[in-house]
This record gives sequence, C-alpha cells and structure tokens, in this order.
Amino acid sequence: MKDKNRTANFLVIVENNKGILFKVANSYCLNIEDRKDLVQEIILQLWKSFDSYNEKFKYSTWIYRISLNVAISFYRKESSRKRISNPITTDIFDFSDTEISDEKETNLGILNHIISELNDLNKALMLLYLEEKSYKEISEIIGITETNVATKIGRIKNILKKEFNQLKIQ
Amino acid sequence: MENIEFIHIWKEQNVKIEKTLTINKLLLKETIGRKAESTLNGLVKLKTAGIVAFIFYILILSYALFYAISNSSSASNYFIVSVSAIALINIKGFADYIKHLAWTKNINYNGSIVEIQKQLSRLQLSIIDHAKIMCLQFPFFTTFYLSDNWFPQNVGLPYIIFQIILTGSFIYFSFWLYKNHKPENLNKQWFRNLIAGSGGKSVEKAIEFYREIEEFEKENS
Repeated sequence: MKDKNRTANFLVIVENNKGILFKVANSYCLNIEDRKDLVQEIILQLWKSFDSYNEKFKYSTWIYRISLNVAISFYRKESSRKRISNPITTDIFDFSDTEISDEKETNLGILNHIISELNDLNKALMLLYLEEKSYKEISEIIGITETNVATKIGRIKNILKKEFNQLKIQ
Repeated sequence: MENIEFIHIWKEQNVKIEKTLTINKLLLKETIGRKAESTLNGLVKLKTAGIVAFIFYILILSYALFYAISNSSSASNYFIVSVSAIALINIKGFADYIKHLAWTKNINYNGSIVEIQKQLSRLQLSIIDHAKIMCLQFPFFTTFYLSDNWFPQNVGLPYIIFQIILTGSFIYFSFWLYKNHKPENLNKQWFRNLIAGSGGKSVEKAIEFYREIEEFEKENS
C-alpha cells in the first residue's frame, strides 16, 4: 500500500513537471533515439533518489538538478545507447504535436538551435534563466555564487542576442 | 532583440507542452520497475566480456597456486611467491575497478551540477589511478619459472647476471610506470597508447571536463 502511494506520488510529480524533462532532453539531445534514452535515464535517477528528496527544495529544483546532471553526464559516455542495458524503444512522451521545436525558421527554433550549441554548463545556466528561476535558485542548482550566475548569464545573453539577430537575417 | 523577448519566445512552448505532451504512464511504471535490478547486475551486463576474462584469469592463477601449494616442494618456492604476488595484485586491481564502477553507477545526482560533475570526473580519473597497481606485477613474470633446484646454485655466473639484469630492469620499469601512471601525463602519446584499451578516451574527456568546470566556477571567467 505504502509502495503504491509512493509510486502514485512519483507519477504525479513527474506528470506535473513533464515540461522540465522535455526541455532538458530537447536541449541536450539532437538525436531522437538518444532523447528517449535520456528521458528514461532521468526518470530512473529521479526514482532512485525519490526517497532522499529534501523538502527544503522545491520539486522543480530537485528535478532540474537531477535531470541536468544526468543530461550532462549522458554524453560524457562513449556510447549512450549501448550504456543502457534494455533501452525502451517507445517514447515515454506522447506528442500530439511534433512541431514544438524542430522548425528552425521560427523564433523558438532559432533559440533552441543557439542553446543547443552552448557548452553543457552554459546550456544549463541558460535553461534555468529562460525558465525564470531566481539567481538564488540557479546558484543552488548549478553550485556557483549568485554573482557568478549574474555575470555569466549577462555574457551568454549578449552572445545569444548577437547570434539570434544573425540567424534571423539569414 | 531585448532580453525579455527570449523568455517570451521560450514560454511559447510551455502552452504547447502542457496541451500536447502526455506521459505514457505504463512505460513510466515499467521504467521505474527496473530499479529492482541491482546495480551490480547492470554493471556485470555492461562490462561482461572484460569482467569474465578477468575472473577467468584470476581463477587460472588461483588453480595454479593451489596445485603448486598442494604438491609443495622447495622447487616451487619461486613459483608460489611470484604467482601469489601476481594473483594478489590482480585481485586488488579488479576489486578497485569494480568498486569504482559501482560508485560511478551509484552516484546520487541530487546535488549541485558543479559538485556532482566534479565528483563524476574525479571518479573516472581514479579508475586510472587505481589501475596503476597492475604495473607492479611485471617483475614477478621474470621470477615464477625459477627453481630452487637450479637457481642460483646450479647455474653459471652469466645466467645469474642475466637474471638480475632482467628482474632489475622489470622492477625499474614497473616502478617507473607506477609513478607515471597519472592523469597529468594524458598529454603524452605513450601514456595515451598505454591506457587506450582501458577507457583512455573517457578519461581524457573527464579531465578536460574537470578543467572546464573549474574554469566555470571562477567568478571572472
């Protein structure tokens, strides 16, 4: 009974924060097959640390920490697909609209494209900024000081602006 | 393009995600159900060939040792000492390897990104660090075949000198390898070739990323 409740709670939390998982997977994986594996790996790690969840933090902070850590580690391995012993071939996510980010000519498509080209750590920083997380929360997730967060975000925004305008003209 | 517009563009997808993205609950349950599979099982599956070969090698050494001890004679003293040393070094190296893989696999990702990524990179590097113990077995490959019956009393001086030079150079060589088996030498070609078989590429990536994180942590970088 306790286990059933635990599973049910977990499913609700994942459902409520599905956007985070989708956006992280989308930003770190260009390949659709890898994206499925990454989502599967993130969910597995979330479940593994569900018992040690610290109520001091919001669920979204906890999910961001784990999903960004898993996403960053994911591509450090030589072959992600081989690393998972039983990869699921179907997607945990069902889309009724597949055009969320793949159209490069849209503003969102351009923005996603520029973000995908940032290095892993800057990408994490930018994702959290775009999600309108406070500098305090970003510094808790990333593990650097708030001042450092502000400096870095300022710098990345300038790069983003420049590249966005260039791509827009093209 | 004002900064605020990026956030606005980004938010465009949130509505779509909420409306069109659903989670396949059956698959989700199946995924978390796999947690029951023990971490070690996962590891064994992952590195099966290497682990099986290693266990097989240690078993052969143990059998040879068992055979030599149960049919003990002074003639097999060199063999017993040398093979015991080789077996112990291999067991230690193998245990360290498994322990580190298990740590890497078991890491709790619920920490800050800088902290966890540094920890992961350090763990990957320490696999190399512990692998260096394997270098210490080389000198024993020059002594296991010696026998009390003919060495050193019943051989000529030239052979004794040859044996001393051979074992001595292996001692020097393995000590040198042990001392130089460190991530700082990753920029040297000989070291890259040496570790190529034991995940050298991922160690290279780990050290590169570790430097990247340290740079990222600096306030003015």
